Amino acid sequence: MSDNHQLRDVFDAIADPTRRRLIQLLSEAEELPLHELTSQFEMGRTAVSKHLTILKEAGLIIDRKVGRETRFKLNAAPLQEIQDWVGFYSKFWSTNMLRLNQLLLEEEEE
Amino acid sequence: MSLTLNLDFQYTTTVEKLWTAITDPSKLAKWVMENNFKPEVGYQFQFRQKPTEYWDGIVEGEVLIVDEPNKLSYTWGTGAEKHTVVWTLQDLGDGKVNLHLEQTGISNPQALNGAKYGWTSMGGELEKLLAQ
Repeated sequence: MSDNHQLRDVFDAIADPTRRRLIQLLSEAEELPLHELTSQFEMGRTAVSKHLTILKEAGLIIDRKVGRETRFKLNAAPLQEIQDWVGFYSKFWSTNMLRLNQLLLEEEEE
Repeated sequence: MSLTLNLDFQYTTTVEKLWTAITDPSKLAKWVMENNFKPEVGYQFQFRQKPTEYWDGIVEGEVLIVDEPNKLSYTWGTGAEKHTVVWTLQDLGDGKVNLHLEQTGISNPQALNGAKYGWTSMGGELEKLLAQ
């Protein structure tokens, strides 16, 4: 598997629907403070904070302090790992079935 | 919870030729990978290809069902994924054979969607190839 130094597996990070929603919200904005994110969910800021921490551990978000508030920003790069992994399955089967068809066509010609 | 993938392909060939293509190791090497496959119940085999960053290139399996030339089943294990593959061959007449794949034990929707996407886009390619 790929060599990464994240504290948390990116697949683990996106396994939860709240965290997927957070990624989506952050993908639509440059950066957002906690209270704006919290207003989108029927849960408290502590719960949202915990999800943000998990995303941060997977390298999917970056935070910075601006005065008294913390703002969150998406870092989509680790999602590439998921893209590559899914791509393997897709490519594996499609390539193989085309090859099978080619093999059968060649045998027909012999 | 595990997921199942069901897909069908039609080939212009005979059931016997398709059976050989999915059971003979030299034929399998041409469309799957290098292997030591044998269509014998209980036989343990390996498919191998060059490792990539995301995959060690090894598939390990055991033959479960050999019903020549209609049905073949084996386990298909790679990485954390342990699947069961069932191939069903059906003569459609007019020189056409349907090949059905059932793959069970897929651990998550990403793997299922990846495989489904690949097969579906391939279906179009196959049609083009057959129309030539």
